[in-house]
Amino acid sequence: MQVSTKWLKDYIDIDLSADELAEKFTLAGIPVENVIHAGEGLEKVVTGRIEELKAHPDSDHLLICQMDVGEENLVQIITGAPNVKEGQIVPVALVGANLPCGKKISKGKMRGVVSNGMLCSADELNIEGDSSGIYILPEDTPVGVPAAEVLGLDDDILVFELTANRGDCFSVIGLVRELAVLTEKNPRFPKIKVVEDDERDAKDLVKIGIDAPDLCGRFSSRVLTNVKLAPSPDWMQKRLEGAGMRAINNVVDVTNFVMLEMGQPLHAYDFDKVTWHQLTARRAVEGEPLHTLDDTNRLAKGGELVIADAEKAAGLAGIMGGFESEITEATSTVILEAASFNSASIRRTSRAVGIHSEASGRFERGTNINGTVAALDRVAQLLQDMNACKVCRGVVDVYPNPKPEVKIKFTPMQINARLGTNYSDEEILKVLEALGFKIEPIGVVDELTDEVVDKFASATKNIGKIARDLGKKSNVEGFMKNFGDLFKNSGSKDADDVLKASGVENFMKNVSETFGGLAKSVEMKISSAYEATVPDWRNDVTLPDDLSEEIARIFGFDKIPSTLPKGNQQGRQSSKQNFIDKIKNVLSSLGMCEELSFAFTSEQMFDKMRVPADSELRKAVPIMNPLTDEAPLLRTTLLASIFENAARNFSRKNEDLRLFDVAPVFLPKNLPVTELPLEKYQVVGLLTGRREPKGWSQNPAAVDFYDAKGIVEEFLSALSIGNYFVESGEHFALHPGKTAFFKKGRDILVTVGEVHPEVAESLGIKKKIYIFEADVEILQKFAAKKFNLENLPKYPSISRDLAILVDHDTPAADIEKIIVKNGGKFLKGVNLFDVYTGERIPSDKKSLAFTLEFRSNERTLTDEEADYAFKNIFSAVEKDFGAILRS
Amino acid sequence: MEQKIQELRTRADEAIKNSATLKELDEVRVKFLGKKGELTSLLRGMNQLSAEERPRVGKIVNEARAQLENLIAEKNSSLKSAQLEKKLATEKIDVTLSGRKIYAGHLHPLTLTLNRVKEIFVSMGYSVEEGPEVETDYYNFEALNLPKDHPARDMQDSFYITEEILLRTQTSPVQARTMERHKNNEPIRMIAPGRVYRRDDYDASHSPMFTQVEGLVIDKGISFADLKGTLEDFSKKIFGEKTKIRLRPSFFPFTEPSAEVDVSCVMCHGAGCKVCQGTGWLEILGAGMVHPDVLKMSGYDPAEVSGFAFGMGIERIAMLTYGLDDMRLLYDNDVRFLQQF
Repeated sequence: MQVSTKWLKDYIDIDLSADELAEKFTLAGIPVENVIHAGEGLEKVVTGRIEELKAHPDSDHLLICQMDVGEENLVQIITGAPNVKEGQIVPVALVGANLPCGKKISKGKMRGVVSNGMLCSADELNIEGDSSGIYILPEDTPVGVPAAEVLGLDDDILVFELTANRGDCFSVIGLVRELAVLTEKNPRFPKIKVVEDDERDAKDLVKIGIDAPDLCGRFSSRVLTNVKLAPSPDWMQKRLEGAGMRAINNVVDVTNFVMLEMGQPLHAYDFDKVTWHQLTARRAVEGEPLHTLDDTNRLAKGGELVIADAEKAAGLAGIMGGFESEITEATSTVILEAASFNSASIRRTSRAVGIHSEASGRFERGTNINGTVAALDRVAQLLQDMNACKVCRGVVDVYPNPKPEVKIKFTPMQINARLGTNYSDEEILKVLEALGFKIEPIGVVDELTDEVVDKFASATKNIGKIARDLGKKSNVEGFMKNFGDLFKNSGSKDADDVLKASGVENFMKNVSETFGGLAKSVEMKISSAYEATVPDWRNDVTLPDDLSEEIARIFGFDKIPSTLPKGNQQGRQSSKQNFIDKIKNVLSSLGMCEELSFAFTSEQMFDKMRVPADSELRKAVPIMNPLTDEAPLLRTTLLASIFENAARNFSRKNEDLRLFDVAPVFLPKNLPVTELPLEKYQVVGLLTGRREPKGWSQNPAAVDFYDAKGIVEEFLSALSIGNYFVESGEHFALHPGKTAFFKKGRDILVTVGEVHPEVAESLGIKKKIYIFEADVEILQKFAAKKFNLENLPKYPSISRDLAILVDHDTPAADIEKIIVKNGGKFLKGVNLFDVYTGERIPSDKKSLAFTLEFRSNERTLTDEEADYAFKNIFSAVEKDFGAILRS
Repeated sequence: MEQKIQELRTRADEAIKNSATLKELDEVRVKFLGKKGELTSLLRGMNQLSAEERPRVGKIVNEARAQLENLIAEKNSSLKSAQLEKKLATEKIDVTLSGRKIYAGHLHPLTLTLNRVKEIFVSMGYSVEEGPEVETDYYNFEALNLPKDHPARDMQDSFYITEEILLRTQTSPVQARTMERHKNNEPIRMIAPGRVYRRDDYDASHSPMFTQVEGLVIDKGISFADLKGTLEDFSKKIFGEKTKIRLRPSFFPFTEPSAEVDVSCVMCHGAGCKVCQGTGWLEILGAGMVHPDVLKMSGYDPAEVSGFAFGMGIERIAMLTYGLDDMRLLYDNDVRFLQQF
């Protein structure tokens, strides 16, 4: 919706600039997206007459013009435009002008001849029109007046971005209504008067029917005769242009004008083209042809609402009229339609056919079903004013289920409670009445606040308790006396006196009065209740909560105080959230960079990653409407994401990477999907490039498997996961000889390995890449809940080095296992410090050197004890692996 | 005898003085004071002296020995310090060279921002709740008062898996899920951070996936003023004490009244600049009082309790905090970018 400020000012006297209006509307919940300051940049552009035209002496295309711009002297301006003639009136940019096209006009010379301005083309003024030459103004245009004025560019435009609930503001009158409340001024809306000057009765000429009352709530129509098609008057054309619509002819223009003015879309049918002069709102039949105004032939899907004549659909209801019954030069009689259609149905159809018209936009947000006849009358009136038609008697109005009035019971206290404000009843009622609500008082409501209820409850409980206690051991007088004390404490000063002076009956009377006093003492609120009748045009207000919004927005959200919710609650994260935070902190402390990636992937990515054809990972959740064909699936492994990020970094020449990602993957429970997939958090890491970052002190070494494994070990240790074992493993995306599983029982804690060269190549990465991958849930399962401190040793330890030759393929971890198993209770540490293969030993052997550390926690160990343990260890590795001791 | 000692002293003094290295000095020490040194031999020749002379000469020899030892010690120390100085001089390095590089780890700027937001709300008593990223239409829309065919819904905006299952477009479904988990009318104070998805092109200000934090407070007597105070408090904590907020009426189907919330521009503090497009305000939040229908649908009684809800984009806050002008920086994961945080 856009509208010129002049149109608004036709209906209300306000002295606000376009920007001030925009702010007022926006802060009242009617957002103005943009203000177009018309005439901006045309401040120094005036109308001028070409008095004299001479050829430039040094140019074959430049002309020297002497311009009358309403000043004492003529102004000399050089132009290169071919279409100028003496006597023409044109827009002239004077020196100092700063045109909308960006040109700045200053004094200058063109090929030695002085030029004091510029004659302007349509383009240069940023207006519509032929831009091949200078914009020529009508002959009767006054000279020396601002060009903006004669071009109709002196009108600012407000462009609204209306929210879905305010259909009523999709009209000039709706906007003025709001403005009137906001500025406390009285609007003056046009008085609608129709002279029914054609004797014939409309209902004898046309038949109107509704076959689908759920989709069409009302269909009202008038018949206009003796229609004379002509251009609409200038003032109306300007208003329409200001609203962003083009003028076409008087009939179309008036229906558009009334739609903009009143918010009710209208449609005009050529009476003679409507078979049997009969219009029915009905559902389309599947495959039914629809020939719309835009001369497009469509086939109905079936079920969409059409307006049909006796033979065929004559238009998509509320969206676009039909081609055959369009108004033409030959039209003499018009059936005018003003109807009310179901918002959801219009929205569905409009989306399905891809047409979003001014009319459909209004019906989608909801129109005023009780405003159809007034809109018809307004059209008839305006056309009559233009002598463009006669009006038949009566309105043919089908309105099967008139909309009941919406009434809302509310109390001002309720509104204040929701807003946290303290407006008086009068203030609240005044705003609602100004907005068109009719207010009826309906008595009072005793609103018991929680505080009051609590006090009453505890007082009553005490009374009951004391009464029971006293009743057992007192006479009436003593009982009453104690009762009196209780009430004395509750605030009544004279309970005691009353008791002494009166009997039980009087006392009880006093008790109830005291309760009343207690109630007052905690400010029990008694609030007046009202019933508000919602005005016809507000479809969005149905609840007291909606009324509170009206109060808040009209007084201004800035008037609402700032408080904090009462009461205390303990904030917390779940243990899973804490664990994920810990994973991120640990990995970043180990020198890894966190990445965040999209959840999408593709078959192609699976191929690149060498995911086997029958792998569960290939069974990914497909997206019905993916953004691109490259990302049609939800990822089943985070590796897909980290590989893509590594590849992107590589393409940008970032070749030293240490990345990690913690995010969910999506594993469908069934395919096609019928229920929510499983969402499992994974953590992945990736290393490639230099072991040390690039610097002057070059260490050319690249990371290898053991760098990655080292990080995994530190990672697990920081998560308090111990007692795992490592074995070689298999993974589709990894090097078969360089893949390890960190395991605990059957569970794989972490997979780590070198990325398979084929995968690296498909990612465009020429270096070796190492990754690790883990399931967050499994990690959390094994993370120790308690911290286990290892005490510092009190006694010295004894070290022995064990250097052995074993078969080349013997895993070091296996040997370590045997060492630990046979090391005895004093063995506290096994550290592999050298691995050698090469010339000095047989090629099928490798040399491993361990430092073994022996220590007792109770005393200083003797060499003999260490030697004894060492001997046992060696015997075991000798027996199990055929190890030969190296000297 | 005394002459001999005198002559020895002269030679020894000279030799000590001329020693250029610790080694030479040590040779001098051995030559004169060693077991077979000259002074020692002199001492040995004492028995030839008379008993009267012996104590006197003995004293002279001992004195000479003590003096020589002193001289040698002095020389020793000066030679040592000279040697150290020389060594230190040769060890001079170029201290202007940059330090040796290490791989420092970094958390993603969105994680850092989200952590800050979580911290603030947890300190205000909010629990951190979560829900699935693939959601049912019911929780994503219907439980939020967005029935099918509501204009605020748009097939184009959502990634659908089936007609009834989609990638959540907001973290609001966590609200409904959390309310259902609670006993009826039990107070709630929660935030729900998480990834959400909308079918937007990937450009400088849009991303098909982004991060939202939804907040919900339900209790007896919660008012719009409580919402305003809470957001004011939050804005000051995240953007600085001087931050002001502005609420503009708006429309969301799940709140009534609803507001768009602006904060005073973090760059120009309201004066108007490029970041706020001259308005002095930046839109960062949507908020409102929970619609009674939303409460009802999740088993809460709007006559008994009321609540407020708000939602914000973490990308927007991160971009403002770190001065980023292109959202793609956050999801391209260029390490040169990531390493700056």
